[in-house]
Amino acid sequence: MTKRFQQFVALTGLALTDLFRQPATFLIILTTIACTILLPLAVSHQLGQQSRLAVDSALAFEFIFGLILAGYAACSTLNNECQSGTILIVFSKPVGRLMFFLAKFTAVSILLIFFVYCSSLSALIAERLTPRNFEFDSFGNYLLFASPLIVFIPAGLLNFRTHRSFVPTALFLYALVLAALVLVLSTVDRDGHHVGFGSMIEWRILSACLMEGIALFLLAAIAISLATRLAAPATVAILLFLLFTGLISDHLAGLLAALPPAGFLVQMILPDIQHFWAADKLADGGVISGSMIGHGVLYALAYGGGVLCLGYAAFRNRQF
Amino acid sequence: MGEQNGLVIEARNLTKVFRDFWHRPKVSAVNGIDLEIKQGEIFGLLGPNGSGKSTTIKMILGLLYPTSGELTVLGKSPRDVAVKAKIGFMPEESYLYKYLTAVEILNFYANLYGLSGTVKTEIVEGLINQVGLTAARNRPIGEFSKGMARRVGLAQCLLNDPDLILLDEPTSGLDPIACREVKDLLLSLAKRGKTILICSHHLADMQDICDRVAILLNGNICTQGSVKDLLVNPDTLRLSLQSPPRETLTAILDYIEKETGHRPLVDHAGRTLESVFIETVTRRQPTT
Repeated sequence: MTKRFQQFVALTGLALTDLFRQPATFLIILTTIACTILLPLAVSHQLGQQSRLAVDSALAFEFIFGLILAGYAACSTLNNECQSGTILIVFSKPVGRLMFFLAKFTAVSILLIFFVYCSSLSALIAERLTPRNFEFDSFGNYLLFASPLIVFIPAGLLNFRTHRSFVPTALFLYALVLAALVLVLSTVDRDGHHVGFGSMIEWRILSACLMEGIALFLLAAIAISLATRLAAPATVAILLFLLFTGLISDHLAGLLAALPPAGFLVQMILPDIQHFWAADKLADGGVISGSMIGHGVLYALAYGGGVLCLGYAAFRNRQF
Repeated sequence: MGEQNGLVIEARNLTKVFRDFWHRPKVSAVNGIDLEIKQGEIFGLLGPNGSGKSTTIKMILGLLYPTSGELTVLGKSPRDVAVKAKIGFMPEESYLYKYLTAVEILNFYANLYGLSGTVKTEIVEGLINQVGLTAARNRPIGEFSKGMARRVGLAQCLLNDPDLILLDEPTSGLDPIACREVKDLLLSLAKRGKTILICSHHLADMQDICDRVAILLNGNICTQGSVKDLLVNPDTLRLSLQSPPRETLTAILDYIEKETGHRPLVDHAGRTLESVFIETVTRRQPTT
């Protein structure tokens, strides 16, 4: 292992350890899972189009909570390190600022991958457990409501017996339990009878979740760049502004078309978030094509890369 | 300029002005100081709070950039990342990750130096023992007292066997025995050719170990020189002798008064409170 790679792994590992032990990280991920799974159960029998409501709300929760998590995590791992002074010792070692910046971004990205994994599985479960014709999936709901016990009791016992931190243990156990729940639900029908694997699960949702994951990667690049100078409230506020203006960026560009430089600038500067909002494409049995995902990846890499360059430029000359 | 002439740190007209949001000058923390620190010496930067000591250390580390002037560290720019492989730094506060244990945090910093395998393990374990944290090695830093956290801070500073050691208030928060141990450690490091720059306002500690000192006030160096030269009073002589009989002492004093016209002052040779404390505690508690 080269010295630089060893430094990068050490910095990323420490940032991840810090992020996964934060109660705020735990609360955001848990809230996303709970809202995604429970909201359709609570309201869908009153509104009709149950399955679509479950998917749309799941994707919306993933976007909003993912954005908050990206902003919070970026500031927690970068800005807080500057504010608390721990960065003074790190930069007294032979560590370059670019490596430090990229390690922090990598840690936030890995956290967001974990978040997208949890919210994607939650979306699959939510769609599967949505009541149809006013009938609840009793078997699935029993499993669902038992899952917190399966997670929190072992995590609490581990903390009591071994002093192992509760938050990361509970998070990883929840990730395992969600996967187990999807596996079980993909092999039984709503009455608990065995069926062919996956026939009861809407796997198409995963591609929409993936598109949002790519958008969150792009937003993480913006968040870590903002975190070089700003604290969490300002960073999250700017991210929310970019999300909402990004969702209507085409409309804004159209409005400003009469002013060519302004319209062009809006299209260049605002992230094209609506490209990643794929809920409508799933309606009526639609699928998200590979080319659309590929286009999204390229756009996120180009835009995210540009933003990271600006972020590093802001960080490179920061004094501590 | 730099290492070729035996200077580990060389500053010429070094100035640091902090600016506000609109880039207007707000505070002038360091005003055109000149500094030369040679290899193997222990140099003390003294001064009251806000005199510019920590700002100077941060500029030497490349954490703050000088507004004007020249600064070289080990013959290179302080912003050169490679230079930092030869520097150890212990900040004023224990800026450590509180959720890590002493061993975990030292392993983390050792990874930043590219240490690995048995070499890393030996260095980390050796330093843990050297700073007296063997019993607390697996406790999170957040549970440590200030003095214990300072010991971890000192250990991380020595991980890379640095040529230049920068210490900001190294004895702050330490009990007198730990303080003595740290001073002895620094003296032994200087004997091995390490260059040490210490910022402090604990004057007794600085007097004990520094070869040369500079006194900073409002960002200016007011006095600079060797400790011996600064402390000596050439007009006064101190004569030490075993307590003689009263008649002999009176005769000596009379003779001196007759020859010089001044009656000398006589008192018993004193000990420092530090030496009394260390002797008392080590007598009652041989091992710490």
